[in-house]
Amino acid sequence: MIRVNKVRAGYGDGPDILQGIDLTASGGEIVTILGPNGCGKSTLLKCIAGFVRPRGGAVEMEGRDVSAVPVHEKVKNHRMGFVPQTDNVFSTLTVADNILLGARHLPVAERNERYAELMAQYPSLASKQERKASALSGGERQILSLARALISNPKVLLLDEPSAGLSPLMMHEVFAAIAEIRDRTGMCIVMVEQNAFEALGVADRAYVLSLGKVAIEGRAADLLADPAMRHLYLGGEPPAAEGKPRFAAV
Amino acid sequence: MFEFLIHVAIMACLYGLLSLSLNLQVGFGGLVNFGQVILFGCGTYGAAIAFSHQLGPVAGIALGIVFAVVVAAAFARLGRNLGADYWGIATLAVAEVLRILANNEAWLTGGAQGISGIPLLFGDMPRPMGPLMTLGLCLVLLLAAWWLCQRLTTSRYGLALKLMREEPQLAASLGYDLAALKTQTLMVAAVLAAASGFVFAHYITFVGPDQLVSSETFLIWAMVIIGGSGNHLGAIVGAILMQFLFAFVPFVKDALGLPSEYVAAMRLTLVGGGLLAFLMWRTQGLIPERIGGKQNG
Repeated sequence: MIRVNKVRAGYGDGPDILQGIDLTASGGEIVTILGPNGCGKSTLLKCIAGFVRPRGGAVEMEGRDVSAVPVHEKVKNHRMGFVPQTDNVFSTLTVADNILLGARHLPVAERNERYAELMAQYPSLASKQERKASALSGGERQILSLARALISNPKVLLLDEPSAGLSPLMMHEVFAAIAEIRDRTGMCIVMVEQNAFEALGVADRAYVLSLGKVAIEGRAADLLADPAMRHLYLGGEPPAAEGKPRFAAV
Repeated sequence: MFEFLIHVAIMACLYGLLSLSLNLQVGFGGLVNFGQVILFGCGTYGAAIAFSHQLGPVAGIALGIVFAVVVAAAFARLGRNLGADYWGIATLAVAEVLRILANNEAWLTGGAQGISGIPLLFGDMPRPMGPLMTLGLCLVLLLAAWWLCQRLTTSRYGLALKLMREEPQLAASLGYDLAALKTQTLMVAAVLAAASGFVFAHYITFVGPDQLVSSETFLIWAMVIIGGSGNHLGAIVGAILMQFLFAFVPFVKDALGLPSEYVAAMRLTLVGGGLLAFLMWRTQGLIPERIGGKQNG
């Protein structure tokens, strides 16, 4: 579904933030991108989305090179949904209007049908349809931004730190919603996250970036269980002497 | 006094057009254009160059609009590579470069002396009918511009503009083509400003580079901010208020017994002080923007 091939990218005349990244993501799986601050996680997601144009390499969606395709065309022509990290709702609009913004390319009948389905799936939003988005809690806003991305029935969903600024309870709710979307729709979900433990808990595969390169990649469950990974990237105890990484170090 | 009031009303209408034009850009689209005066200048020089080449007013307005659209396209092109704040500085720089060009390319623009003798639009009518007809034309233009802006900003296009202003990245991720939106907005705004410039040139009968100084841009900014950014009526009210205040500065000067050179300083103080006061104590302006509302379409 998504294939990132030796992508280099940066901002303005600055150095390459991404230095030859390879990544793949298929339908029906959640791929999470982890790593310390400044390692290039969000830049990689913006490259895939089309906000940042790669300086080298290629981004492919369903086998087609979309490196130079801007974000608005990917949304319309490649059925991509993108949820930014912060400022992901229009606070002056109502919940209903926020959601319907995501469906403006759909015929009215399909739009109404999708909207009704979403209201059934997210009762917490259904009860607040006419409220301004500014009146929602952080978790509800995140669910709202997910619902808005889902209304157009995308094939690919890109999430930039969906748990940013949420309480542990809300974070759990949001990750549960993301896992449910994967299981129900078979969508390809790529998610950048800071909360590595929780992200690995719902993801199928993970890429850990360090200084613009993929340092580690593998199955999420393996990474979560590995003592070296826990020590280096998840803030856990140092591994025992015999602890050898079970994942593929790149 | 009657003709003086007509003059002030004409100027208020022309600045009202400029204010609507800027409001569409900054109030709705979040496009911080510090080069607004040059779009007006395209209209004035369009009329003047057409006149100096013995072409009629129709050629003048067409030329003015073409100049303005070309400058707007250049502004829009700059916006693809620059962030909002840097873009604002770039528009100011472009406006200054074009003003200096107008000041130096005497073969085309008359240089620092400008181009004078541009005929009045209703010059063959006796006074005060001529100025009254000009005022009527200005009022029609202002109403038409207000209607156009109102139609645009209450449509899906207007919603897109507001989304671009509030959360550009989010708007792009919803499939809005921000580059196209910016270009379209600048084009519409350029046509309004050029129309104002064209009528101004045929009313004042003189066009020169001194009419394009950056303080004029900031005067238009003051009108939008004081009237109410994001509200068309507010932009018009701001323009009328500022123009009438400006007009009565000389009377205040006389009443206070101040020398004549204080008039310009008092007007500048009015702009700066008014801007500062509204930015500090009433950021929404006299007639605030209507927030929220149902989505159209």
